[in-house]
Amino acid sequence: MFLVVFLYIAFIAFIVFSLKKAAEFAKMPMHGRWELYPVPKEKGKGHYGGSYYEEVKWYEKKRETSLGAEIIDMMKEILFIKKLFDNQRPLWWLSYAMHLGIYLIIGWLVLLFIAFFISHPVFNVLITLCGAAGIILVMVGSGGLLIKRLVQEELKIYTTGQEYFNLAFLFVVAASGFLNWIIFDPALSYGHQLMKSLLTLTPFSAGPLLTVHLLLAGLVIIYIPLTKMSHYVGKFFTFHKVFWDNEPYLPGNEISVKVKEGMNYKPRGKWAALHYPGNQHEEK
Amino acid sequence: MAGKNRKLITLQDMKKPQDVQLSAPDLNSYMKLPKPYDTVESQPALKEPKGSWTEKNITFLDGYAGIENLVRPETKEEERALVEKFLSGLEKILSDDTNRAMIQPLLLSLEYCAKCNTCSEACHIFEASGKNEIYRPIFRAEVLRRIAKNYLDKNRKLVRKWDENDPDLNWETIARLGELAYRCNLCRRCAQTCPLGLDNGLIAKEIRKIFSQEMGIAPKPLHEKGTMLQLKTGSTTGMTKPAFLDIIEFIEEDIEEKIGRKIKIPIDKKGADILLTHNAGEFMAWPQNPAAFAILFEEAGLDWTLSSEITGYDSVNYGIWYDDYQAKQIGTLQFKVARELGVKRIIIGECGHAHRAAAVSLDRSVTGEHYIPRESSLPLLWELTRTGKLKFDPSKNNFPVTLHDPCNYVRSMGIVKPQREILKVIAPMFREMTPHGVDNYCCGGGGGFAIMNSMNFAEFRNTVSTRKKFQQILNAFADTIDNPDIPKYICAPCSNCKGAIRDILEYYDATEKYNLQYDGLVELMVNALASMDRPYLEFLIEEEE
Repeated sequence: MFLVVFLYIAFIAFIVFSLKKAAEFAKMPMHGRWELYPVPKEKGKGHYGGSYYEEVKWYEKKRETSLGAEIIDMMKEILFIKKLFDNQRPLWWLSYAMHLGIYLIIGWLVLLFIAFFISHPVFNVLITLCGAAGIILVMVGSGGLLIKRLVQEELKIYTTGQEYFNLAFLFVVAASGFLNWIIFDPALSYGHQLMKSLLTLTPFSAGPLLTVHLLLAGLVIIYIPLTKMSHYVGKFFTFHKVFWDNEPYLPGNEISVKVKEGMNYKPRGKWAALHYPGNQHEEK
Repeated sequence: MAGKNRKLITLQDMKKPQDVQLSAPDLNSYMKLPKPYDTVESQPALKEPKGSWTEKNITFLDGYAGIENLVRPETKEEERALVEKFLSGLEKILSDDTNRAMIQPLLLSLEYCAKCNTCSEACHIFEASGKNEIYRPIFRAEVLRRIAKNYLDKNRKLVRKWDENDPDLNWETIARLGELAYRCNLCRRCAQTCPLGLDNGLIAKEIRKIFSQEMGIAPKPLHEKGTMLQLKTGSTTGMTKPAFLDIIEFIEEDIEEKIGRKIKIPIDKKGADILLTHNAGEFMAWPQNPAAFAILFEEAGLDWTLSSEITGYDSVNYGIWYDDYQAKQIGTLQFKVARELGVKRIIIGECGHAHRAAAVSLDRSVTGEHYIPRESSLPLLWELTRTGKLKFDPSKNNFPVTLHDPCNYVRSMGIVKPQREILKVIAPMFREMTPHGVDNYCCGGGGGFAIMNSMNFAEFRNTVSTRKKFQQILNAFADTIDNPDIPKYICAPCSNCKGAIRDILEYYDATEKYNLQYDGLVELMVNALASMDRPYLEFLIEEEE
């Protein structure tokens, strides 16, 4: 029963810590404009990087944006890590393997959940393939990235101990799952049992290697949102709330209301340079 | 990978003592230029730094110095003051109390970097330098990140005082970091390619803010002779109102002499539709640009005016490169001028950073009673072209033309098409640079570099930061570069970009040798006006003579 409870704790911790992280960024003051083009939501212009600023008297015209274009752009990045593919292909192969592996493991869990209610032999094959591919890809991706960072000088000099640890942690989790699969469970059938235990809150019986694997998996699930591996949170803000936030101030609009609220804030601290008002006397 | 013949520099090297210079200028290591500058011998030799500043200023990063008042401490107390002030500035830059406008983007960029180095491949300075490690976009960001990690707690409060025996931080690190913040053009091309949406250009700018806002350290042309002078006299050029009025008179006379038209440039016309704002550098260095605007606006019959009020005749705002307070002060004064004139809108002339400052950077900070609509001149010029209010004879521009995209209004504002549409109408031999549009490369003068000329900084600009642009220019004209009889026109609709390009052409003697010419868009438009009976561009006039 311990494993079941622990995995529930891990999932809940993941969600709570991720939301906490998101809330920390969300409650920060509205930033000054720092958009960067292309902004995909610019209707009819996003594809070449254009904006409403290409219009004469743009402030008198209706603002036209496309949520669809924004979602398409977002999905390309989430599903394929397109920017890395376009700009850093050698690293993309390994990074994408790792990320795709994680997506496949999430998919594996979703399929196991569905299979609890609707069981079918073909479906079970798909589940096994999904889980196996996920484990292999995470292992290859994280292991490959770890090696690349250890040997490639221009990556090595910037990589911190924690960053090595993060990759190693992911690798060990995947490798322990891989070993369990190869040695003890070629059909990856433990997944069905585990899902059943999770959904019925009944004890799950696992051998030593699988226990180690699941404990490590639980720990990494808790650990991810506490580290910069939580970039799934950060990425939402960097794109949606910074690079793609080109909403202008117009008298009476939503931004103007927020700006007005922000103006009421009186900073407690003060910059020390002499050109700041009130600092000139410090020179004497 | 570090460039050939160069030892790999690491983050730890930043704290090496001041007698160790981390890297040295070396043309052999730099990115190769295309023909006819494809050999080191075809390029001007680098100069040996001379003068007392070489001992006084921070030359021990890369052999260059760009900040006049960032000097080597002479006593232990001065060393301590430098580091402690930096740390207190670091705390302020990471506080939602003292850096409200940028805290969210900054923390995101500091927190999530995966060190994948995708940004490096996008950076023209890193590439041009032959991949010198210190210019890698994440290098300076990582130095800052590690100082923050060591000295701030999870609430980003300083947790300890600097200990001079700290093996990870000494005054040399801070001094080098200060200079290194001015080895980035703030063009943000790196940010465009970041898979996580992080911005090393922003980090460079925020480091500049620590130095200026807390330590009072900034390049003279940006601060003392820049924003401070502008707030005092009205212009970074030091141009006063009487001087401005004199120049306008001169421009009117020049127009008459040059094209035979008597144009009265409207000044301080109350209630005009448009207040046209120029970078004052145009009046001093390129008066043909404001003159061309006047010719086009008059021909199109627009209701417009210039302002002679303090800050009204200079659209520049260097504050956006290094100091938020200065930026806001200047923006407030500029908007106030327009409000008091009662104009309906500000139209920004050919100045990239003035575009961004007025339209974007200050959009959420200079508001309320100061609000005034701001637009770029480019869509307006395209509308005048498209609707036939301006009629052209493109055969007058029968020479190769390429377009430089200023980062500030292309990558940071999304103004991409209007200038191209105009060129397609007026320049039959127009060809794009590769890449272009929002993927463009900075001119190398961005972020203040174009005006930073003291000590030996100009050499860094001319040989490293503008190198990629020069390569693009040479490639764009590869078909005619060998023929000096054919003028080749670099259209750079931005004062700072124009300044940087002017300096490259002078440095490589490229106008003299290969007939590479440069100027803005409006000059090219006036030259092609159907109603003109003589050329407007200087090099065509000289050719005729």
